[in-house]
Amino acid sequence: MGKQPLRRKGVSYAKWGYIFIAPFFIAYAIFHLAPQVLTIYNSFFENYREGLTQVGPNFVGLKNYVTLFTPDSSGSVDILKYAGNTVALWVGGAVPQIIIALLLAIFFTSYRLRIKGQAFFKAVIYLPNLIMASAFSMLFYTLFSNVGPVNQLLMQLGWSDHVIDFFAVKFTVRGLICLMNFLMWFGNTTILLMAGIMGIDQSLFEASTIDGASSLQTFFRVTLPLLTPILVYTIITALIGGLQMFDVPQVLTNGLGTPNRSSTTLIMYLNNYLGTSKNYGMAGAISVVVFILTGLLSVLVFKSLTRQREQ
Amino acid sequence: MKKLFALLLALVMILSLAACGDKGESAPPTEPDKEGAEPAKEGKVFNIHAWNEEFKGFFEKYYQVPEGITVNWIITPSADGAYQDKLDAALMSQSGAADDDKVDMFLAEADYILKYTNSDATQDITALGVTDFSNAYPYTVQAASDASGVVKGVSFQCCPAAMIYRRSIAKDVLGTDDPAQVQAAVSDWDKFNAVAEQAAAKGYLMTASEAATYRVFSNNVSAPWVDGNNNLQIDENIQTWMKQAKEFSDKGYTQDCDIWSDECTAQMFASGKAMCYFGPAWYFNFSMGNAQDAEKGCSGDWAICQGPQAHFWGGTWLLAASGSDNPSMLADVMNTFINDEEVCSLLVEKEAQFSNNKAVNAKFAEDPEFGSAFLGGQNDTAMFAEMAGNIKFENQTVYDQLLNEGLQSNWREYCKGTVSEEEAMSNFYKYVNEKYPSIVTP
Repeated sequence: MGKQPLRRKGVSYAKWGYIFIAPFFIAYAIFHLAPQVLTIYNSFFENYREGLTQVGPNFVGLKNYVTLFTPDSSGSVDILKYAGNTVALWVGGAVPQIIIALLLAIFFTSYRLRIKGQAFFKAVIYLPNLIMASAFSMLFYTLFSNVGPVNQLLMQLGWSDHVIDFFAVKFTVRGLICLMNFLMWFGNTTILLMAGIMGIDQSLFEASTIDGASSLQTFFRVTLPLLTPILVYTIITALIGGLQMFDVPQVLTNGLGTPNRSSTTLIMYLNNYLGTSKNYGMAGAISVVVFILTGLLSVLVFKSLTRQREQ
Repeated sequence: MKKLFALLLALVMILSLAACGDKGESAPPTEPDKEGAEPAKEGKVFNIHAWNEEFKGFFEKYYQVPEGITVNWIITPSADGAYQDKLDAALMSQSGAADDDKVDMFLAEADYILKYTNSDATQDITALGVTDFSNAYPYTVQAASDASGVVKGVSFQCCPAAMIYRRSIAKDVLGTDDPAQVQAAVSDWDKFNAVAEQAAAKGYLMTASEAATYRVFSNNVSAPWVDGNNNLQIDENIQTWMKQAKEFSDKGYTQDCDIWSDECTAQMFASGKAMCYFGPAWYFNFSMGNAQDAEKGCSGDWAICQGPQAHFWGGTWLLAASGSDNPSMLADVMNTFINDEEVCSLLVEKEAQFSNNKAVNAKFAEDPEFGSAFLGGQNDTAMFAEMAGNIKFENQTVYDQLLNEGLQSNWREYCKGTVSEEEAMSNFYKYVNEKYPSIVTP
């Protein structure tokens, strides 16, 4: 008997846990889940605006998806081409970004190097991320335009005898986009990876040094395996960001994805439908495809990286 | 320290929440108040949507705003349909908007004016008190009328367009800078193309953008962009332009760039190599700032002649939005800019406009003393008055602006040589499908 009141007093604090995490789930349901469901719903309708007249919404089943995957006159499917562009642009920016960030993170955390003025360098490499992507892209557009300073410089130095149209060549346009994405994001990644490396027990590094491991061996046998969780997180967030790439190529190519739509990303394609025609049906269908693609790629990255660790 | 930081964060959050709450709660009660107190009087805010500052400048200088009314300008650049998008959103929510937020007047260009005149978003201005169109050029009235002839707005300018050429370059290439003789040398497209070859031989560019001549061709089309079944059709005249653009680009007679790009306007400086630009009065006084630059420009080194084909470009129509809460001011603004002789004279004299008032234009056309300093003393009004009679407003569609822009930018890639002709056209059709799902493309 004596113990029973005590038990009654032993209130369950679990409900407070739920109450405290509730705001996130409420916000998620309103701002993420609901729009997502609506987008899927919209993708089955014909719903656009023609001037001042609204057409639809009329239920059309899978027609939008069929249109999306119908090959054009030359036999290529637009959305696959844009998905390819997006992945190419992402890989071109993300691979050097992660390599450089990893390198910098190791330099900054190395107990041997003890780099001075770390705070300063960290701030500097992070700075490009503070500029609005569209402003950054406008800056590059001005720099590399036909009448811009880069062309003037090249001509004055005698390296080129004619104006180079950087925006007419697939390689340079894509290169510039990758470069911008790299510049904007490598600082952020460096800081994330540094946090990951600093979370590793320093004594492990010391132990490996005492055992006679070289720097490379330490990196591949100690740092990298223990860094995997953070690395996976970094790559997946970069991937999701990369698939949603929009502002940099949009501003740089004036929304046209020149040359020959080879720098049109999936979201730029979506934006083309949302612009004048407010075509929610087609835009919804594209969003659903992007959503599925993002999910698949994330699983792929996650699986491949975590399997490596198990081995 | 941490506690202080946490406290600060908490405060910021509470304040921002409170600020949001404030807006939501205190705003509504004031509005019904206003409506209830003065229902008969006109609104206090006159909202004008426009895509640039041109008309705003004239309005502020020459129109006396009635006391107690604030004029609110909503300016959105027109490229890629941004202006139309924003305007459409405002017009579609017009009925639910508070009086002070209602669009009262908006500006529109020839390329898309039909979209608005043929909709309920605009209203009959004759009912508001704008009834005298005797001095306006007929095409400006026709363009602002809906299918059944109801007039929905007025244009404050008439826009016959001319070939604007550099006198010094013309002298070097043709041996003369006299408008009549230059006109004789470029009176049709074959002659124009031949002059381009001569100019290129001397190291000049015939035009600064392959799209410079686009308007001349597109204004003289024999069929609109879409047929009765909404099929896209490319008129023969447009196809001629496409051929010319590629030829000019390949032979180096022009540059591959947009007519509004820095590259194109850089050629307007004294150091520029381009011989011809095409445009109406507003083009050389509003869009040729580089040529008028005090240090690097070449004001006075220009002249105009009709060029290979008569055409017009733009014109800014003032349209009356349905549901405006300032009907009498609306009518007054419109009357001022087409019928007030003093204001129209000032537009011609001080602003180098070609006004939409025949009587005023005729006065300046006959004045031997009158001339434009920018054009080396040439009386442009006389030239335009002659050309204004030839303007036809026909074969327009609501799609013109974006189809014109889209064809030019996609065709430019072919001119540059980055895509094949088929790819360029396929990209153009994709662009059309994205912008206008109802248009059927090949």
